[in-house]
Amino acid sequence: MNRTEIIEKLREILAAAGDGTVPALSEDSNLASDLGLSSVSMLYMVIAIEEEFGIRFDDVGASDFVLLSDVVDYIEGKLR
Amino acid sequence: MEMKFETRGLFEKYTDKEQFDRIREYGSVTEMWDVCLAEFGDRIAVSDGGKEYTFAELEEDAGGFRTLLSSLPPHSRVGIYAPNCYDWIRAFVAVVTSGHVAAAIPPQLDAPTVFGASMMCGLSALVYSPALAEKLEIVKAKRPDLPLIPSDSASDEKTSAVKCAANDPCAIVFTGGTTGRSKGALLSHGAVMQGTVNGCYGYRDVFYQRYLLILPLTHVFGLIRNLMTSLYTGSTLFVCRNNKDMFRDIAAFRPTIMVMVPALAEMALTLSKKFGKNMLGDDLKTIICGAAPVSPFLIGEYDRLGIKLLAGYGLTESANLVSGNPESVSKPESVGIPFPHQEFRIAENGELLLRGKNMMDGYVGVDEPDAYDGDWFRTGDLVRLDAEGYLYITGRIKEIIVLPSGENVSPAEVEAYFNEFDFIQDSQVFEDENELGARILALEVVPRATELAGMEPEEKKKYVVSELEKKNATLPTHFRVSRITVRDSDFERTPAMKIVRYKKFK
Repeated sequence: MNRTEIIEKLREILAAAGDGTVPALSEDSNLASDLGLSSVSMLYMVIAIEEEFGIRFDDVGASDFVLLSDVVDYIEGKLR
Repeated sequence: MEMKFETRGLFEKYTDKEQFDRIREYGSVTEMWDVCLAEFGDRIAVSDGGKEYTFAELEEDAGGFRTLLSSLPPHSRVGIYAPNCYDWIRAFVAVVTSGHVAAAIPPQLDAPTVFGASMMCGLSALVYSPALAEKLEIVKAKRPDLPLIPSDSASDEKTSAVKCAANDPCAIVFTGGTTGRSKGALLSHGAVMQGTVNGCYGYRDVFYQRYLLILPLTHVFGLIRNLMTSLYTGSTLFVCRNNKDMFRDIAAFRPTIMVMVPALAEMALTLSKKFGKNMLGDDLKTIICGAAPVSPFLIGEYDRLGIKLLAGYGLTESANLVSGNPESVSKPESVGIPFPHQEFRIAENGELLLRGKNMMDGYVGVDEPDAYDGDWFRTGDLVRLDAEGYLYITGRIKEIIVLPSGENVSPAEVEAYFNEFDFIQDSQVFEDENELGARILALEVVPRATELAGMEPEEKKKYVVSELEKKNATLPTHFRVSRITVRDSDFERTPAMKIVRYKKFK
């Protein structure tokens, strides 16, 4: 799975929360300021990623992910 | 209007008869613990980190821990500073059954705040998780006399439990309280016991359940409704150590009852719909939901899954639950009927005042002169009562907006009108300025994606705004909002997952 495909799946995950729309998602999107993810939606995203990609997050904190690219890097690393 | 309903009879029909008759009142936690050991000794009390501990084993371990506390004078205040785990529970049981007072110190506190809490509570000892040891540097430097006990300590020598009375102090639980300043509520054995028993009313199967612990034990909802009621009912408490693992833990442990905040219940529902399976497992029958308003939509959706989502109302100062709603489907906006023995009064301004065995014995370390009206505790919550004795929260006094016209508006009361739509997940009414600088009421909403599927983004927003505007036009004029904004993302939330309210004007 390449980075574009990972981002597309992340878009679907984030769309299922919120109002179903996700503003233009790019690798530079800031999770808090651009995507407005609260502590609950961060938790939702982590759980949904684990379910969708069949991976397990280590004990990482929310502050370990600032940009969407950090999340994509992490997923890529786990899928490798 | 002063009231104390003997409501036990009202709750009777919701619980299995034999189990209802077992719901008894005890004077103190130590008395309850004796009964637990006699009746449930061989049953599993706690499951944590792949290990299971029976009630008898928990008592055996607590007996060793009591030895570590045996040199302290009676009623010493002992801090517990650790994340949710078996050692936390063992320390709590040991402290309380030694006749000491357990001060639950939130594990997320930083070093200066832990020191501040130790001073505020007047701690005589501090039980700490070795994982948090580095946050004790200030405590060690400034209070070198304070005994520090690692939470994984043990002693082969066992010390027996003591017997406590109802008015003996039992626990200190931190709260922002009605004024938002952090402080500790001092709860007696009688208060903790009443809160524990209150957790048994309003649902069918009470004893021998499987509870999953997600909430922090330092929060009154986690400590009393989750841990204490689980112990009281001979149930097993599974400790979820990391919320991100909760659904894996659910699949493995198959809980029958869960205690959670609405934001988590909403998240579980969204995930279940996204992945096309009930993420909460087929064994779950009851969700006790509180700490924030519960939307009628959530209650209805869970009801369709065969899960009773029961809203309750409570405070740290009332040792958790004051009321519970066994009729959540037919009265989804209510926080239920006050539990037996709860004395309450509704002041002229609509504020709920409380008195009774479950109420705290004051705050620790701070003076809050406005906390009481005579001997009645002022909740700061505005309520109404229907003809059948069901309570409804209509707002909080400190959130009241005084309009330029002089009329008072409770944001929660206005939000309730808009929250009736299934496509609204959360909303917030607040005071803002328009482009001319005039003060107006504004509304922001977070729509619920699953209810708007199949619409284009712009079409979706137009639809939401148009429906909300129609509703707005039907409201009393002083409730009408002048601006409606549809958000793309969730509101900012507190660590307890409550919405952070906008405060443009003080």
